[in-house]
Amino acid sequence: MAQQVELPQGTLEMLILKAVSLGPLHGYGILLRIQQISNQRLEILQGSFYTAIYRLERRGWIKGEWGESENNRRARFYSLTRAGTRQLKAETARWTDMTAVVASILDKKADEI
Amino acid sequence: MSLLDTLRSLWRSIAPRSSSDIEDELRSHQQAYREDLIRQGLSSEEAQRKARIDLGQPEVQNENYRDAVGLRIFDELGGDIRYGLRALRRNPGFAAVAVLSLALGIGATTAMFSLIYAVLLHPFPYADADRIMNPVFLDEQHPHEDRWFILNEAQFDELRLAAPVDALLGFNADHMEITGGALPEAIFGVYLTENAGTFFGVRPLLGRNIQPSDAENGGHSVVVLNYRFWHGHFGGDPHVIGKTLEINHAPYTIIGVMPRSFAFNDTNGVGDVYLPGSLMRGAANVPYLAYIPWIKLRPHVTLAAANAALEPIVRQFAKQHPERFPDHWHLALQPIIVPYQQSSGRTLTLLLAGVVLLLIIGCANCSILLLARGRARQHELAIRSAIGASRWRIVRQLLVEAVVISFTGAVLGVAASYWLAQLPMKLSPDSFPAESVLRINLPILVFSVALALLCGILFGLVPALRLSRHDPARMLPGRQIGVVAAPAKHRWSVLIAAQVALTLLLMATAGTAIRSFLRLLQVPLGYDPANVMKLGIMLHVDDPGEWSRLQSREARTAYIEQIRQKIASVPGVSTVAVGIDATPPYIGAESSFNIDGTLDREQPQARVILVGQRYFAALRIPLLQGRIWNPDENTRGDFTAVVNRAFATRYLSSSNALGRQLRIPGLTRQTPFEAVSAQSTAWRQIIGVVGDARNDGVDRPVVPAIYLPYTAVMPPYVQFFVRTQGDPLTYLHSIRVAIASVASDQQISDGAFNGTFTLNEAIERDAQYSRQRLFSILFGVFSAMALGLALVGIFSVVAYSVAQRTTEFGVRLALGAPRGHVLWVAARIALLSTGVGIAAGLVLDGFLGAILANWMHSAFAAASLLVPAALLALSALLACALPARRATTVPPAEALRYE
Repeated sequence: MAQQVELPQGTLEMLILKAVSLGPLHGYGILLRIQQISNQRLEILQGSFYTAIYRLERRGWIKGEWGESENNRRARFYSLTRAGTRQLKAETARWTDMTAVVASILDKKADEI
Repeated sequence: MSLLDTLRSLWRSIAPRSSSDIEDELRSHQQAYREDLIRQGLSSEEAQRKARIDLGQPEVQNENYRDAVGLRIFDELGGDIRYGLRALRRNPGFAAVAVLSLALGIGATTAMFSLIYAVLLHPFPYADADRIMNPVFLDEQHPHEDRWFILNEAQFDELRLAAPVDALLGFNADHMEITGGALPEAIFGVYLTENAGTFFGVRPLLGRNIQPSDAENGGHSVVVLNYRFWHGHFGGDPHVIGKTLEINHAPYTIIGVMPRSFAFNDTNGVGDVYLPGSLMRGAANVPYLAYIPWIKLRPHVTLAAANAALEPIVRQFAKQHPERFPDHWHLALQPIIVPYQQSSGRTLTLLLAGVVLLLIIGCANCSILLLARGRARQHELAIRSAIGASRWRIVRQLLVEAVVISFTGAVLGVAASYWLAQLPMKLSPDSFPAESVLRINLPILVFSVALALLCGILFGLVPALRLSRHDPARMLPGRQIGVVAAPAKHRWSVLIAAQVALTLLLMATAGTAIRSFLRLLQVPLGYDPANVMKLGIMLHVDDPGEWSRLQSREARTAYIEQIRQKIASVPGVSTVAVGIDATPPYIGAESSFNIDGTLDREQPQARVILVGQRYFAALRIPLLQGRIWNPDENTRGDFTAVVNRAFATRYLSSSNALGRQLRIPGLTRQTPFEAVSAQSTAWRQIIGVVGDARNDGVDRPVVPAIYLPYTAVMPPYVQFFVRTQGDPLTYLHSIRVAIASVASDQQISDGAFNGTFTLNEAIERDAQYSRQRLFSILFGVFSAMALGLALVGIFSVVAYSVAQRTTEFGVRLALGAPRGHVLWVAARIALLSTGVGIAAGLVLDGFLGAILANWMHSAFAAASLLVPAALLALSALLACALPARRATTVPPAEALRYE
C-alpha cells in the first residue's frame, strides 16, 4: 500500500461531490469510491465522514433518497444536484488554481527568484 | 393550517431528517462495512466489533447531524434550562425569594400595562374605533371648553354625505321608565340611528342589533338591552329575545342583548336600553328630531383634512341656529378616547412609574442574590472553565439560569396581574371608560414574556460577567482559608445602595400620597354628609295626561311638597329637603349676576344653587347672619336669596351683606320642560348668610354661591335630601312605598343623572378624592413590597457572607475579638451601603419630589421624607443585625473543623 495522505480541511466535501458526480451512491459507496480512486492512500474517518455528507445535503448540493443497494439492502443514495454541479466546478477550478500557484512557488530554484 | 402544522413544517425546514432516518442510514452502512470486513477474512464477531468502533454509536451520529445542520445551540440551551430548573429545586429558599421578587415586579408591571392597554390603547369594542370622532366646536374665547352640537334630520343627512365621512351615527338619550310592574323603574334610554349595528360592528351577545329595516313605518317598537341592565332586570335570562318590555306604557319587543364590553355612553351615562332613532318622532315631548353625531372617517383621512372639509358644512348649520353657537368658534374633530386620556392618562403614567421602580428593585434583588450565591458557585464554574468552557459559554449558562428564574416569576406574576389590574378600576371607577374590560390577551402576554426576558438579562448580566471572569488558578485550589478575607470588591454593595435609594423614593411618594389623602379626609366640608341620602324623581314628561296636570309651576310645587311630606312622615326620617342638582361636593351652575342696581361690564360670577328652605337644616350648613326664607317665600320663588360666606367676603366685603340686592339675568326658561317663577330675573334681597359648604370639589376652596328657592326655575326633576337615623339606604323601601302613596307610578331614579346614593358616596365619587385614595392605597402597597424586597436583599447578602466567612469569624473569636467587633465586621458593608442608599434616596427625592407632587395634585413636604427614611434605616439595621448575629455565635472549634 502506498503512503497515506492526510486531507486538508474542507477538501473531503469536494471529494464527496466528485464521487457522487459519477452517479448516485450510498454513504458507504462514496467512501469506497474515494478510497478506490485514491488507491487507498486516503484514510477517512467513517464517523466524521457523515458530518460532511449532512452539511452538503443541508446546503442543497447533494440530494439523498432511500433505495435498494446492489445486495438488496435498503440504503440512502446521494446524487449531485444542479447547485452541486456548479459548486464542484467552482471548487475544482479554485483547487487547480491554488495548487498551481503553490506548486509554481515551490518549484522555483534559488537563482530564479 | 393549524398552529401545530405550522410548527411542524418550521421544524422540518430546520431539521429535515428524523433521528431514526439518520440511525437507519448508519446501520445500513455498518452492515455493508461488516460484510466487507468478513469478506476480507475477519470473523463475524470481529467484523461486528470493528464496524462498531469505526462508525460509533448511532446517538453520537445524531448529535453530529444536529451539529452539522446547526441545531446544537438548541440542545445546549435545553441543557442549560434543565440545569437551571434543577439548581432552583436544589435551593428552594433562594428560588422562592428570587422568583417572588420578580413575580411582584412583573405582576405589577403587567397589571399596569394591561390597564393602560384596556383604558388608553384599546378601550372601545367598536370596529375601527380609532376612526370614530366626536365633532365638537371650540369657543375661541374659552379654548378649554369644547361643546357638542345637535343636528336636525336634514342637517344629519347633509353631514352624512360629506366627503370624509365613512359613516355617521346619530344618538339622543332620554330618561324613561319601565311600567307595568308594581313600582315603576327609571332607566336611561338611548335612541340610535338605525345604522348602529354596522357602525359599531359589535356582535350582540344574543339576538341582533338595531338594523336599517327597523326604521320602517316610523320605527319598529324594538329594543336592545345593555348587558348590565339585562343582568339586573332579567337576571341574565338567555331566553329573553322575543319577550316584551313595557317602556313608558308602550310595549317593545326585545331583539338583542349586547355583550358586556359594549356600554355605549353618550357622556351623560351608559344606556340601559337602545332604541331605533325613528321612534323619536312618535315620542310625545321631543320637540324635533335631533341627533348628536359621531363621525366615522374614511380610512387614511387626516384629522386636519376632515376638519377643513367639514367646517364649511357646520358653519352652514350655525347660520340656521346662531343661538347655539358662540361668536367665534372652530370645528375640532376629537377622537373618542380624548376625554378619557385627559382624565386618566397622568394617573396611569404615575402608577406605571411606580411599578417600574418596583420591578427594578426586584431585579436588583435578584442580582444581589445571584452575586451572593455566586461565591458558593465559584468552584463549579472554575471546573467548567478548566475543562474547556469558554467565557461566553459560562455567561450564557448563567444568563439562561437567570432567565429561568425570571420566567418562573413571570408565570406567577401574570397570574397575579389579573387581580391586581382590577384594583385601580375598583378604587376609582369613574376615571376609566365603562367599556374597558380587562383581560389577559396576546399583546399583554407578549409584553410580559418580553419583560421577563429583559429582566432575566438585566439582572443576570452583571453577576454572569462577574462570575465568569475565570481565574482558575486562584479559584480552583478552593476555599480561601482563614482570616485572608474575601476580596474587598462587593458589586452587590452598589446594588444594595441603589435598591435602598429607589425604595426610599417609592416610600416617600407613598408618604406624600397618604398624607394628602389624610388631609383630604380631615378637610372641613362645611356640611355633615353622615346619614344623608340623595334620591331623585323624574316627573312624567312622557305621559301626556299627567304632564299637562304638572306643567304649571304651582301644581308642580304642590306635588313635590306632597311627596316631601310623605317621605318626612316615614319613621326614622328626621329632615327632608328639596334641591335641584344640589348634591355636594360639586354643585351649582356658574352664572353672572349684578349687585345693588349696578350693571357692571365685568359681570361677577357665582354658583347659583336651587334648594328648598330645609336644605340647610338637612345638611347642617350653619346660618351665620339673618334668616332662611320661609315656606311662603319658598313657594313664591322670587325676591329673596341667601349667600354663602365666600360670596359675602368676595363681593360684599365693604358693608353688611343683609339687605343688599342682587339679580341673576340668566335665570330664565331654557327648555319647554322648565317652569319659571313670575319674576325670576328681578332684583332679590339677600336675607341671610350661611357657612361655606364645599361646592367645587372636596379639595378645592369653596366658591361664592347664591342659594335661591328651587321654585324659581323648575326642571322636570328634583332631588330630595333625606337625613335619617342610621344608614339612610335601609329606609329606601319604606320611602318608595311612601312616594307610591302619592302617585302610584312615581319612580325613584337610579339612572344616570339622579342615582340614589348617600352624600358620603358622593364624596367618594369625587375625582380628587378617588384619585388620592387610589394613589395612597397603591403606592402604599408598592412601597411595602419594595421595602420587603430591599430587606430581603440586605438580609440575604449578610447571611451569605456570614456563611462564607464562618472560618474567619471562628478564628477572630478564638483570638479574642469582642462580639461587638465581629458583629460590625459581619454587617458593616451592608450597613454602609444602606446608609449611602438612604442618602442618595434623599437627594433623589429632593429632585423628583416637586414633580411627583405636581402630578399627584398634592403638596410635597420634606417632612414626609423623615418617617420613611427612619423606618427604612431601622428595618435595614434589623435585617443586617439578625444574620450578622450568627457570626458571633460560631464556636471556634467548629469553625476550624469546617475546612
